[in-house]
Amino acid sequence: MLIFLILTTLLALSPLVLRSMRATNVVAGIFFATNVAAIALLLVFGRIDSVMLQIFRADTLAVLFHALMTLVLGFALLHSSSYLKAEDVSTTSYKTYYTLLMLLAVAITCVYYSDNVAMTWVFLEATTICSAGIIYHREFSQSLEATWKYIFVCSTGIAMAYLGILLLSTVAQHGELDYASLREVIELGNPLYLKVAFLLIVVGYSCKMEIFPLYTVGVDANYAAPAPASAFISTALVNAGFLAIMRIYTLFSAAGEVFAWARHVLILIGILSLAVGAMFLRRTNNYKRFLSYSTVENMGIVAIGMGIGGVALWAAVFHVVCHTFVKSSMFFQVGIIRHIYDSYRINRIGNYLNINRTGALCFYIGTLVLLAFPPSPLFISEVMIFSEVVSMGSWWLLAVMLILMCVVIYSIWLRALRLNYHSNQDKLHLSEVNRRLSYSAAVLLVVAIVLGLWQPDFLSEAIDKIVNIG
Amino acid sequence: MTLSLIILYVLTLIYLAIAERFRSHTTILTAQGLLLFGIALVRMHEFHPVEMGFITIETLVFKAIAIPAILLHVIRKTKINRIHTSSSQFGSLVMSIIALVASCTITYYMADDRTDMIFFGVALYALLSGLILIVSRRRIFAHLVGFLIIENGVFLFSMAIGVELPMLINLAIMLDILISILILGMFLRRVDDDIHTDESDALTSIKD
Repeated sequence: MLIFLILTTLLALSPLVLRSMRATNVVAGIFFATNVAAIALLLVFGRIDSVMLQIFRADTLAVLFHALMTLVLGFALLHSSSYLKAEDVSTTSYKTYYTLLMLLAVAITCVYYSDNVAMTWVFLEATTICSAGIIYHREFSQSLEATWKYIFVCSTGIAMAYLGILLLSTVAQHGELDYASLREVIELGNPLYLKVAFLLIVVGYSCKMEIFPLYTVGVDANYAAPAPASAFISTALVNAGFLAIMRIYTLFSAAGEVFAWARHVLILIGILSLAVGAMFLRRTNNYKRFLSYSTVENMGIVAIGMGIGGVALWAAVFHVVCHTFVKSSMFFQVGIIRHIYDSYRINRIGNYLNINRTGALCFYIGTLVLLAFPPSPLFISEVMIFSEVVSMGSWWLLAVMLILMCVVIYSIWLRALRLNYHSNQDKLHLSEVNRRLSYSAAVLLVVAIVLGLWQPDFLSEAIDKIVNIG
Repeated sequence: MTLSLIILYVLTLIYLAIAERFRSHTTILTAQGLLLFGIALVRMHEFHPVEMGFITIETLVFKAIAIPAILLHVIRKTKINRIHTSSSQFGSLVMSIIALVASCTITYYMADDRTDMIFFGVALYALLSGLILIVSRRRIFAHLVGFLIIENGVFLFSMAIGVELPMLINLAIMLDILISILILGMFLRRVDDDIHTDESDALTSIKD
């Protein structure tokens, strides 16, 4: 692990001393290959669940999400190159962007593998620092505003989470803060402290998972960052937030009555996130913010699934996995839309079907998959969550979820139709269409659809292992 | 001795509520850094050179010297001087006193026998003071100071519940916070240069 971390960090920093964009691309390729090799080594040598450097553990959850991140990273690196060249950025700006993107990937990887509650916090804070530069990359006044808000709110939120970790650590013996040791003694903790700790940690990490209450900074960050980076932030980084909360959830599953309370908190947060997503999907006038609110809505569903537990927990993890493919694909498609129209404004652009038929088709299919229409994998996860809600007898929860999701479906579908059939509102200087980028983004969508039709055994077994928290 | 230092710490928080100049805010942060250094020293059960060195770096070097120096640099570059507030000095003081009373009440009901009640209450008061500063002040520099007051409160909180984290983790946390402050300071200057304002009201152009 140490070799991997040193190597990837050096690779991430190396564009700063290189001279050309081409050399930066080569380094980015090596960085991607290093991540692939690391995952392959873990799987081939059966090192799953091994502890590394005392603070990292390569458990199933970490390896699964690392693999997902690497896949999205590969596409993000590829699309970033086209995006930045189309923007005609300077070589320095190009190199800085790639450095920050790769450093963000390193920090996210550390969050995934971290086996210590305090170190998870440290690496999540590190992701804030790396993300800041990417959000500010376009250097316009709104990106500056988004960056300031992102750093400030994330830092304050994560300081609150640290407070929760301190409260949680009152149960630790001899300062041992690894999840397994904490899980053994958590039942002995002061229930009031544990409840406050859970609340503070979830609220603090909500800025990363893009759920209520600190979801706004994530939406602003996705809006300001270049589209390929937004694809990475709204999947890999959101997954890091999910994973951090999932580990806390697993830890609290041994906390007796406090766990029942914690699950109620997650259901409440989930409903509020779903409501916020539904409300702002109607209001927003920007395709990137629109996709970001869709992330808030989807993560709300995941939080509800975690809160319900049982089969719904399995569905929640599966939902996150599939959402990674769908959402990253959609962000890459939106990046292509921006390249063509030089705008993300919903009320200005249209007629996409005639301008880029391939892209329009991908966007349509992506929208349907995002809306959980069969054979979308999100359909499977949502039906599983609904069935668990019904078996619990929580009809009120089912009713609230269905009403909010109807609003979501209406809003998203309306936007998709508008993009394809609505005429342009003014004379736009359309750029050349690069269909290869549309095809490459569609690959992720195809993977998602395949998962909707057939879930491979290794994935089902991995999720079984993750949710088997007995 | 500890009680005297804690009382002085509470006084810095009350002074924070009525201070109107940003230089006063940096002075308060320096004073808090020194007080935290003193409190940490007094609470050390036995002399450990490594622990001693770490406490010195975290409180004396970072909290009392480096961070106020960064803030003074930002003040000089941006030429900001006084806070802009939506409430009067008296109103801020009343809010601060209410926060103090709320902290005492919460501490009374929440603290258990393993927790130092005085530290717990003051840490909570520091957290609330930081949050009040962020909410009630319009200039984003004041928000940065509020964040630092919260960080100091968190440091005090860790002493209240007697948590001793491993040195590596402490070091990582300290570096993270320092880098965050550096980046926040850098972006504050950018906001001042590019948007020509340091009012948080001006940072509302991104909306739906």
